[in-house]
Amino acid sequence: MYLDMHSHSVSSDDSRATVEQYVKWIQVLRKRGHIVDGIVLTEHRKFDFDKNYSDLASQYDVLILKGSELDTRYGHFLVYGVTKQLTEAIDFGDTRMDSRELMKAARQYDAFALPAHPGRFGIGLTDYISQGETFEDVSIVERFNGGSRPGENERADELCESHGLLGIGGSDAHLTSHIATCMTNFNTTIRKEGDVVDALLSKDFHPVWLKDTINGASPT
Amino acid sequence: MPYYDEIELGDEIGPVEKVATDDEVSSFCEVWGTSSPNRFTDAETAAKSGMKGGPIVPGIMTMAMMAQLLTDWGGPGSIKDLDLVFRQPVPHNRALTLAATITDIREEDGENLAECDILMTGTEGERYIGGKAIVTLQSR
Amino acid sequence: MAMEIEYDRSLYGVEHKAGPFEISDYTIDRANQSTGELGPAFTSDEGAKAAGYKGRIAPPTLCCILVRQVALPDVKVQFGKTSMHAGQRVEPKAPVYAGDRLTASSHLKDVYAKTGRSGTMVFVVWETTFSNQDGQIVAEVQESFARRE
Repeated sequence: MYLDMHSHSVSSDDSRATVEQYVKWIQVLRKRGHIVDGIVLTEHRKFDFDKNYSDLASQYDVLILKGSELDTRYGHFLVYGVTKQLTEAIDFGDTRMDSRELMKAARQYDAFALPAHPGRFGIGLTDYISQGETFEDVSIVERFNGGSRPGENERADELCESHGLLGIGGSDAHLTSHIATCMTNFNTTIRKEGDVVDALLSKDFHPVWLKDTINGASPT
Repeated sequence: MPYYDEIELGDEIGPVEKVATDDEVSSFCEVWGTSSPNRFTDAETAAKSGMKGGPIVPGIMTMAMMAQLLTDWGGPGSIKDLDLVFRQPVPHNRALTLAATITDIREEDGENLAECDILMTGTEGERYIGGKAIVTLQSR
Repeated sequence: MAMEIEYDRSLYGVEHKAGPFEISDYTIDRANQSTGELGPAFTSDEGAKAAGYKGRIAPPTLCCILVRQVALPDVKVQFGKTSMHAGQRVEPKAPVYAGDRLTASSHLKDVYAKTGRSGTMVFVVWETTFSNQDGQIVAEVQESFARRE
């Protein structure tokens, strides 16, 4: 199934899209022949325990899951399967946290953290590795990022190849029409946040671009 | 001008191509009342502010260009909300592509609203400005 | 702990007034010329009347141009050296006509930190309401500025 693993709704300070607008737009993409099964809302520096999107999800037949994108001293990290215990152990608003500790704490509390847009200039894992930092717990990175500037996804490709890392894909949408521009194709069934963690641990997935999900209808 | 009943999700507004020349930026800065030297008209000041590509186009000037895309399409009083994020410095004398995509259509408080994503991009994949606009339209 | 930003928190809740701004034909002409605006309702009375207005109107971003003439106090953010314009929002509420006299009222909305390609940045957000000579609100403008290391 095809999940956009990285998106921001108006709950993030810099996004202009509501969740309803995303799921409506996914209907447009489906009409154009694309396959989009769901999205993970990875809001900046927080986790929205209080938000419930189940009505929208069933109305539009789109899986809507919640995660987080945290600022760390080694770039941004996507966190899936966020639990209460993790938010008690880690201050999600701390922009200077050590991402290595975040990754360890995430696994300890049934979640999973991985580097977002590692090829991003100035703030991607590639730059920190070239500065001599090591990240033993990184086995998966966001290889396709829809918000990348030219050259940045190519740097993520090189990182995956040189370090034997697996890759996921996420649009990093902050605007409605950018949702699902890239996604992750999982060979397992995902219904809730915890399933994403299991699916990542299964290693049975790969990143895809939206254009490669045409199911036979004519693209527009 | 389009009628509310005629538009659909996914409809495009534009694209149009524009260029902000040195002269236009200078003229805008005069109207705007910006003190000189500044990073919009002076290469040295721009370099000191970390602008590697020379003087930049003021954000508010680019906003006026984005607004024109919408008012040329929906009419002079059609903009209800224009909300932009300046993501990359916009250079002078370079082709800028402005376009919007309708992402939501709804009636609210008796008004017919079209919401769009609006973007200013460059020829080499630059995403200078991204944002959202809400436009009011007449019914047929 | 989240990054503690030092700045002048006493500015919250304080309104800073500015104006009046006289909106003359000349003001609108100059704004139009510098942005290549050719829309008939913005360039002539006839064009505006044809579109249903009582007279020539200002383009919708004129208040965004004026907002820089509002003298805002220093927020005294103890972070970074360079300040960049990060975002701008305008919500036009009523037409601004040639001949209007506008006043502005601004307040500090928010100060917060985040990281991006340029490293850590602190955002300062101001909101300004423009009203005309009849006390009618004509536009709400929001500006955000990013200070970076």
